[in-house]
Amino acid sequence: MEGLARRVMAVCRLTHSLRASTFDRELDEEIALHIELRADELQQDGLTRGEAMARARREFGSPLRVKEETRAAWEFRWLEEMLSDLFYAGRALRRNPGFAAAGIVSLALGIGANTTIFSLTMELLFSEPSCRSPGTLAAMSIGGNSHAHMRHYRFLRDVRIFDGLAGSNEEAEANWRAGDETHRLHAMRVTDNFFGVVGVPLAMGRPIEPGDRDVVVLSDRFWRTRLGADADVVGRALTIDGRPYTVSGVLPHDHRTVLGFGFSPDVYLPASRESDVVALIARLPEGMSLPAAHERLILACRELDKVYPPEWNPRASWVTNTDVLPVAGMARLRHLRMVPFVAFFSMLMIVVGLVLLIACANVSNLLLARASTRRQELAIRLALGAGRRRIVRQLLAESLLLPLLGAGAGLLLNVWLAGMLNHVQLPLPLPIHLLIQPDWRLLLYSVVIALLSALVAGLLPALKATRGGVSAALKRTERQVEGRSRLRGGLIVTQLAVSVVLLTMGVLFVRNMTKSMTMSPGFDAEGTVWASVRLVPEKYPTEEQVRSVTSAALSELRALPGVDAASVARVVPLNGNSIRGDRVLADSSGEPVQVRFHNNDVGPDYFRTMVIPILAGREFVASDRKGSPEVAILNENLARRLFGDRDPVGRTFRYPAPTPSAPITVVGVAANSKHFTLGEEKPLAMYSPYAQGAGGNLAPHLLVRSSRREGLVREIARTLGELDPSAAIEVKPMRNALGFALLPSRIGAALLGSAALLGLALASIGLYGVLAYSVTRRTPEIGLRMALGADGRAVLRMVLRESAALAGSGVAVGLGVAAFATRPLAMFLVPELSPTDPPTFLGVVGVLSAVAVAATLAPALRAIRVDPMTALRSE
Amino acid sequence: MIGPEIPELLPGTLYLLVLRALSRGPLHGYAIARRIKDTSADALEIEDGSLYPALNRMLVKGWLKAEWGISENNRRARFYKLTADGRKQLERESKQFEKLVMAIQRVMRTA
Repeated sequence: MEGLARRVMAVCRLTHSLRASTFDRELDEEIALHIELRADELQQDGLTRGEAMARARREFGSPLRVKEETRAAWEFRWLEEMLSDLFYAGRALRRNPGFAAAGIVSLALGIGANTTIFSLTMELLFSEPSCRSPGTLAAMSIGGNSHAHMRHYRFLRDVRIFDGLAGSNEEAEANWRAGDETHRLHAMRVTDNFFGVVGVPLAMGRPIEPGDRDVVVLSDRFWRTRLGADADVVGRALTIDGRPYTVSGVLPHDHRTVLGFGFSPDVYLPASRESDVVALIARLPEGMSLPAAHERLILACRELDKVYPPEWNPRASWVTNTDVLPVAGMARLRHLRMVPFVAFFSMLMIVVGLVLLIACANVSNLLLARASTRRQELAIRLALGAGRRRIVRQLLAESLLLPLLGAGAGLLLNVWLAGMLNHVQLPLPLPIHLLIQPDWRLLLYSVVIALLSALVAGLLPALKATRGGVSAALKRTERQVEGRSRLRGGLIVTQLAVSVVLLTMGVLFVRNMTKSMTMSPGFDAEGTVWASVRLVPEKYPTEEQVRSVTSAALSELRALPGVDAASVARVVPLNGNSIRGDRVLADSSGEPVQVRFHNNDVGPDYFRTMVIPILAGREFVASDRKGSPEVAILNENLARRLFGDRDPVGRTFRYPAPTPSAPITVVGVAANSKHFTLGEEKPLAMYSPYAQGAGGNLAPHLLVRSSRREGLVREIARTLGELDPSAAIEVKPMRNALGFALLPSRIGAALLGSAALLGLALASIGLYGVLAYSVTRRTPEIGLRMALGADGRAVLRMVLRESAALAGSGVAVGLGVAAFATRPLAMFLVPELSPTDPPTFLGVVGVLSAVAVAATLAPALRAIRVDPMTALRSE
Repeated sequence: MIGPEIPELLPGTLYLLVLRALSRGPLHGYAIARRIKDTSADALEIEDGSLYPALNRMLVKGWLKAEWGISENNRRARFYKLTADGRKQLERESKQFEKLVMAIQRVMRTA
């Protein structure tokens, strides 16, 4: 309470200080005159002018103190009046609980939705990493590669061009053996100086330090959920990838990785193997700019070229495509090609902004409606001598109190929604966990939003209410004041138009989701089971050993009862990226073409297992092994692109760069299917025999086709587990695995769908309120008409016609705007769906018409049932 | 230089004195102080530092009105004037003050 008083005081001081300069000047003048007159007097008593002035000043004392006290006299008045205004406003709200509730709930929903999307956007895109002064950190890449090999990293670190250079690999995985089970962990492999250079704070223990090899730092989540928040965890041994690792520390609950985007691995491990690759991050000396750092990096890369020329082409240089980027902010997002992501969130912000606008319009309408019924009360007060300013202030206080209460409730809603979002487990192959916490940015944003909505919702009614002279207001009854109802009508039309736009977006995204869910990915997800295996690298030092365990696993799976086919792939479609850009020379002559295609390595029977038709030629067989002639299967799109209308089977192609490869023979053409996203259009794809390209892959994906459903998943897991207990195995039906592919459309549908529903609900409340109010106001008129013998149906038609005009113009304006506003959405929709999808627009019109009719019918029916005498008497 | 001892003002009497000083017409700040000093035959002196805050508090309460005018030495000065409320307040306060003074005197004489 004391805090509130202090804040109110501060607000008063602020408003006061706006007028303070005149005030100060005048007071200064007054004090100067006072001192001068006293000095004149003293001079007459015989003092010199100088002495007299000095003495007069001394007598007066500190002018500063006088000013301070004088000012306080006025401030106190502002505070007093403000508090009394708020007190009366509170009482007025309590007298109309229905009115207050409608206003507060509208704004709470609007502000809650708005601030939650704001928090979400900030957390996902602009959160600050947990590290020491992120401003002097820079992410670096050399030679156009996102990650550098350990030897290159060590070279750059040892030339000491920065205050420190560390590296991390966020895509690392590790197998953790707990009891009889092996779990796959998302690990972040970091160089041993990473924690020191980046300055990551720990909650417990110590970080990974230079020279450490077998230590592990745990995330708070892993420590709590997997290790039961063991307080003595530091020093405990965990078996990771078959070796004992000592827990050295635990990260705090609010740890955010430098990578951002809510990415939160289970553990940090030292990147100690020579085969590790790391993304570079440098600590710049204080004051060094990014371009200056870039120059230094280029110089270092020149040296690197001399020691380790790029392996893909000795004449190339590490200098090409070097990059130095800040670790947070827009520049980085642009570099990471996250712009569509940013666009999506900007769109969301606009959408929730529109929802809030609808909510504000609701409150504005409520206040207007109330102001018109209070018109006579205000007129009487004006007549009794209350200042217009005083009354405007009183009304403004009432208008302010409502948004303030609404904003408070909205913030509570925000905290609750953020808590829910933090617990959402997305079906992602990456460890993404949101950590949305209220912070100063949210607070600032909410204050701005609350003030804006207070202004939008409150100022208009407050000014309107006191316009026009006393006599005019006293003479007219509110029923005859038509101007305001036009204003309210305008508000409703705007509100409807905005909600049409929202609803169109929402319906589009919902339709997008249903379209993507029913869309065939080009392979069969129903009868396929997907087992992803991760082998411990230390246990399989040679490629031959990996090969033999992979083929052993496949033959055991094929032997299971009910299994029709089993195969292996390097990438599971829609669950990983296999895109490759290269120049391809078809028929080994002519001009090479640059193509971007999906390049997967798949085993024999892959197409039978996934039910992707082979249109020509054959599928891979066991004899397509390492050492035998290189072969490939193309999808229809790539076959047409490379060979036109000629039959590609039996023809060859090769990669001309950097050194011409041996010719590769096309042995088959597969039907087109989806590879990376469901939304992709006409993807090009090439399949290579698993044994020729990926035989040594430590994380093979085993695919099993079976007519049997019951217990198959568990049986596959058991079979593979027996083969190698140290391998981490995850088995799931392919249908579940599609979740990742459907995620963007699901999120889009969920977020925009709920925003649209919210907007519709608010607009419906507003529409209902205004129509009901205007019909109620006309009750005497309707009573008169009925008394004069008008037909009930005719009256009903008249009222309905008016609402139809209102709703109709709102919907028409909205549809017009929506037709343009939804165009940029095409980038988020599946190709089959156009942003100006006719069924969507028709559906929106239908929904809103229904709402308008419902909002009119109830009060209109009530009106014609009114007893004519009662209605007339109320006149 | 050492003048006669000046008694401290009773709390709350400053308003009364200012109101009274203004009851014969508008005055600026210094003139108010002067008038009180003169009419009390130099027995009462208002601390300069407390005059202006008090005047402003009285403006806030609506007892006074202020207007800019020209002082006797031809300078811009703010003249304070009693409002209707101020007159009423003066009446009320003088009555109370008289009662208070009489009561104190009675106590002083008899006790």
